[in-house]
Amino acid sequence: MKPSRVSAYFILHAKSYMRSRSALFFQIAFPVILILLFGAIFSGSSYSPSTLIVQNESPSAISWEVVDAINSSGLFKVQVIGANQNISDYINSHSIQAALLIPSNFTTNYAYGYGLLILKGHTNPTVASADYQTINGILTQLNFKASNASEKLILSSQVALGNSGKTINFYVPGLIGFTVLSTMFNMVYTVPNYRRERLFRQLSFSGLTKSEWITANMLFSFLMLVLSDIVLVAIGIFVFGASLTLNIETILASALIIFGGLVFFTSVGILAGLVSDNEETVSVVGNLVMFPMMFLSGVFFPLNFAPAYLVTISKFLPLTYFINSLISVLDYGNISAVTLQIVWLLLGSAILFAVAVKLFSWKQK
Amino acid sequence: MTETVISVSNLVKSYSDLKAVDDISFSINKGEVFSLLGPNGAGKTTTVEILEGVRNRTSGDVRVLGQDPERSKSLIYKLGILPQDFSFIYNSTPKEALNFYKRTLRASTDLDEILTMVDLSDKGSTPFQKMSGGQKQKLGLALSMVNDPEILFLDEPTSGLDPRARRNIWNVIKTLKAKGKSILLTTHYLEEAELLADRVAIMNKGEIIDSGTPMEIIERHHEDDRLIIRGDGEVSALLTTGGYKFEREGAYIKINMKNIKDATQIINYLYERKAKFEDFTLKRESLEDVFVRMVGEIEEDEAE
Repeated sequence: MKPSRVSAYFILHAKSYMRSRSALFFQIAFPVILILLFGAIFSGSSYSPSTLIVQNESPSAISWEVVDAINSSGLFKVQVIGANQNISDYINSHSIQAALLIPSNFTTNYAYGYGLLILKGHTNPTVASADYQTINGILTQLNFKASNASEKLILSSQVALGNSGKTINFYVPGLIGFTVLSTMFNMVYTVPNYRRERLFRQLSFSGLTKSEWITANMLFSFLMLVLSDIVLVAIGIFVFGASLTLNIETILASALIIFGGLVFFTSVGILAGLVSDNEETVSVVGNLVMFPMMFLSGVFFPLNFAPAYLVTISKFLPLTYFINSLISVLDYGNISAVTLQIVWLLLGSAILFAVAVKLFSWKQK
Repeated sequence: MTETVISVSNLVKSYSDLKAVDDISFSINKGEVFSLLGPNGAGKTTTVEILEGVRNRTSGDVRVLGQDPERSKSLIYKLGILPQDFSFIYNSTPKEALNFYKRTLRASTDLDEILTMVDLSDKGSTPFQKMSGGQKQKLGLALSMVNDPEILFLDEPTSGLDPRARRNIWNVIKTLKAKGKSILLTTHYLEEAELLADRVAIMNKGEIIDSGTPMEIIERHHEDDRLIIRGDGEVSALLTTGGYKFEREGAYIKINMKNIKDATQIINYLYERKAKFEDFTLKRESLEDVFVRMVGEIEEDEAE
């Protein structure tokens, strides 16, 4: 491998890349758009209470006390509808996720010891379930108050040392993972395209070898990743107030993880691109590899709440370890906890790179 | 003594049952323009790609500047290659492409001179995707010259170009020839081979069916030369009286001749009898006429 040839191709590729609007969009603009969107949605700076439709068929002091308690919790904005309306029809005609019914026998039953409220759900069971949990919490408080009992067990949340607990802290490493994963997709398209256009043959006439081509590509991708990831971190910190652990050690460890991930996913991209010269086929192969990783490795949401079988699947996806390592380093400043993962990542990358170079041929078939 | 720069002996390239190149042998001397001619699928490009080291051979021996192109890694520094269907990285400009080749091939050529030579000096900063077909082809030719190569492989260099662009490339090839470069030229245009090549080999279905100078091939395979006279019925009547066999096509009278000197005799005969004819032309068979007949005859024989 000749460094002069690697640098010559690096320069050629860089100049060509800078003229490609789509490449620049996906490398820089797209991750920026994603972090701005996710940051805005999950920044948690203010809470907007959702509207809760309530139908009170049993008007009384106690029933209105329940409605007031829900309304004054700040979690819901209560909107009362008339008792003469059919609540099910109202839910359907207004596309409402859930509505609370205070049935006509509520006041009588409450006097006998149990007042039953009914939450009618519609299309989205997750929203209905969240509403149920929240309303249940409010009612529990009312029950305590009614029975003059005191709360002996109280759960409070507190920020752990070195971590602000902000959601944006999770998204910064996740989106860095996304930028690294996208290098794989670049390669999935580049390899068959270059082969179809016979560009590898043309490049071979310049004396450039396949390993020099791959190396120059990876070095350029690394440079672009560093640039785009610096932008992501800067937006995370300065726009959304992310509190990341940034010092020489964590920055170097993150760079090492990103480089390992880049080598790994670029090699996967080369291998996937070897499957066929047909653009549609490689697109299918690329998406088959990329999408499960994108959604099951914790790029866009943590897997803590996912079903057990999905968590098991995620353990077989290399991006999971990549993102977990980055979270550990950037969010917690804990390098030692993931040292072994980083070593495995680098080792796996080296092996996969060797396999990709071996199988990737520039000769005409 | 002539120096052989390329030698091919009993070269075979097979793809399962198909023999793309079937036991061919030829050699190219230093400073010579050698042209491989043949219809589509004749095996020209496969042969050239084996010589370039891009494709592996099935059997036979190939030497380029004394080296086996399949194994030699240093040979590429001495070769200039313009492949068929030349393409380059879409967003790169000619200047960037030439600079890249100059650096990788460790060349010291003046790139502006090359751009001027191929008539691309005003397109040096135009991205490849925005160039016309002719300009792209010229860039391919320019890239093949960056390392001042000893041998150039030019595979269909003027394919699909307009007459002006084609002539421009012919001039470049003539300049390279004048500089003593050895050139292997494959082309569909027989006129191009006749004009540029010192020797040609005609390939068909993987085999070389004849080789030699264009003139030697024409001499070996040509049929009658032809005298074409534009004249009226009186000319026809005089020729009949004189015992000459001819065909009439509209205003033209076509007379086949075994010997081109017979033309003088026929024209004198008509002048002496004051025949009124407007003009006449003498047509010798071209390489293309001979080629079409040779390839056509083989296909007809096989059809039978």
